[in-house]
Amino acid sequence: MLFLIPLVVMLSLSLQTCNPATGACVMTWHWGEFGQQLSLYHTQFVTSIYFAGAATLIDLLVSFPIAYWIAFYGGRRKNFFLLMLLVPFFVSFVIRTVVWQFILSDQGIILGGLKNIGLLPQNFHILATGWAVIAGLAYNYLPFTALPLYVAIERIDKRVLDAAYDLYATKREAFLRVILPLTIPGMFAAFLLTFIPALGDYVNQQILGGTGDTMIGTVIQNSFLVSLDYAGGSALSTVLMAVALIGIFAYARILGSRTIEEYL
Amino acid sequence: MKEQDAPGPERQEAPMDPSLWRGLSQPRLSRRQVLASAGTGAGAMGLAAFLAACGVKGNAAPSGSSPAGGVGTEAWWAKQQLHHTVNFANWPYYLDVLNGKHPSLQHFEQTSGINVNYTEPINDNVSFYAKIRPSLAAQQYTGFDIIVMTNNTPNALGYLLQNHWLIPLDQSMMKNFYKNAGPLVKNPAWDRGNKYTMAWQSGYTTVAYNSSVIKNPGSSVDILFDKKYAGKIGMMSDVYELGSIGMLALGIDPATSTESDWAKSAKKLQQQKSDGIVRAYYDQSYIGHFKNGDTVVTQAWSGDIFQANLNSKYADLKMMVPEQGMMFWTDNMCIPLYAQNPKDAMAVMDYYYDPQAQAVVEYYNDYVCPVPAAKEVLLNPTGWAQQALKDLKPEIGLPTSVTANAPTVFPTEEYLKQARNYRTYKNAEEVKAWNDLFLPITQGA
Repeated sequence: MLFLIPLVVMLSLSLQTCNPATGACVMTWHWGEFGQQLSLYHTQFVTSIYFAGAATLIDLLVSFPIAYWIAFYGGRRKNFFLLMLLVPFFVSFVIRTVVWQFILSDQGIILGGLKNIGLLPQNFHILATGWAVIAGLAYNYLPFTALPLYVAIERIDKRVLDAAYDLYATKREAFLRVILPLTIPGMFAAFLLTFIPALGDYVNQQILGGTGDTMIGTVIQNSFLVSLDYAGGSALSTVLMAVALIGIFAYARILGSRTIEEYL
Repeated sequence: MKEQDAPGPERQEAPMDPSLWRGLSQPRLSRRQVLASAGTGAGAMGLAAFLAACGVKGNAAPSGSSPAGGVGTEAWWAKQQLHHTVNFANWPYYLDVLNGKHPSLQHFEQTSGINVNYTEPINDNVSFYAKIRPSLAAQQYTGFDIIVMTNNTPNALGYLLQNHWLIPLDQSMMKNFYKNAGPLVKNPAWDRGNKYTMAWQSGYTTVAYNSSVIKNPGSSVDILFDKKYAGKIGMMSDVYELGSIGMLALGIDPATSTESDWAKSAKKLQQQKSDGIVRAYYDQSYIGHFKNGDTVVTQAWSGDIFQANLNSKYADLKMMVPEQGMMFWTDNMCIPLYAQNPKDAMAVMDYYYDPQAQAVVEYYNDYVCPVPAAKEVLLNPTGWAQQALKDLKPEIGLPTSVTANAPTVFPTEEYLKQARNYRTYKNAEEVKAWNDLFLPITQGA
């Protein structure tokens, strides 16, 4: 019920017509809101999918070696390494992002230095670009990728690997044909936990982004907090959820739902 | 004329717990609606009814030209009594603080015997309005007797005025106000005759530039559209600030602008964006980017530049007084409908038009002062303010004369002349038309 009630309220609101001044809403079954909002903001949806997808991919590529190394070579210090991975995330989400804003600023510690020694042109900047947003998303959601991957890799029975070597598998073959398939469920969980929240994120773009890279989360936030357009915001949220669900099902099909069910 | 229309005081005669009263009068699901929801699984009809029953409830605003029940009339005010308590909601960092206490407020409490419950729940006009709106729509006390709302935000203060959700002020209790209020805030465009509001503080939204990079800035808002600084120009994401400065650049006075003027402004700003001139549309964070050197020209609030200049590291950041004018905004104290302590609220609001009280506030916050006479108090402190200013000095670390002589606190003739008002919107449709023009610019893809 805890999940269902907000969902139903959201769906209901998207079909109502509201007076922004008084907040009075009347159910009008106005499905047109969906079409209208989509025609206005489809590009922001595409941007969000692209940014969240890129950030998830980066996270998978970065955290796989980390998780692999901790799981296989962490030894007795495994918990310590995991803690190290998590320490930055004890700081508030917004503060972490704002700190990146300072680090990446045009005359900041990194770019300022590189510009002074002539490695970068003076007008080069990272902030206010899509790359900064992708980097921010990747950074902020890294533990959500790394931890499920770690769990999956950690659960691999080391004797299976020994068996592969006994059968004359090279290191490369053992990795590609034994370890990788066994971690697929972990990757799926990592994908879910990273891609879905990144898709609706509205903080990174506002702090790190520029003019042409608005994500749908920002649009939804503005619908509620600037225009007081609850119906429009709810319609967009509903579409966002539908997009996410379709994405998940498509992904699950490609990976094969059996392995995932086993894992869950 | 319904019984609930009469705000608090009368209710005190009834021995009924206010929280119980609120609980009883809150809109909730009716029995029929609950039954309908029980049928959710049964079929589409059940779901339909449930969907219709969910969501945000609100009653229509009272109609007519003033709140129902004669609220705010002379006769109504004559019946009100002091309750020696008042709930005051303001923005953070907006009132003098010393060791966790507010010296100017303490002086008021001691002299008036009214206990002020001062809180800082307002971080944003629209979201604060969205929080109190359900109470007002349900004809209930919002929990606040004084709130502070900005005149440039039509979907907060504008809606409160349109819905008649503010109590007309008791003009007979505004003695300090009529004696001391400055010309910018007396009888302002957004509230003729100060029927509903009294200014708390004001400020200018203008252009600021980094004088270490820009040697000849000129004196025009056109600098925001100069391709020379492409990618280094910061604009505000607030659509009312953004749209207004676009009109200033076109030589249009925002206060008297028409919808076709808005479209012209939007076109100019869209062009500015597609030409790659704008780096980003910022909220309050613009000042950090300006200090870091990410932007060299930016839309800016006068108070921020004044504060930044106090640090020698940022002495290069300069504020411009453009020939086209500067937008002048005001945060207004007002009394929301159904307030339970309106007379106490009036006492606090008028107290802050005493030059001594205002001098203490101003020394702390450095916005545009609504009381010109406070300048004299800051230059030659007298009475209780002398001690209060002395106590605050180690905290502020500046002589009081710095505040007294700042044109952004006590506007000079030039500053007064260049002040421009925001558009006062007639209704929600106008607000929507404005938002539909300028939101696509700030949140475009």
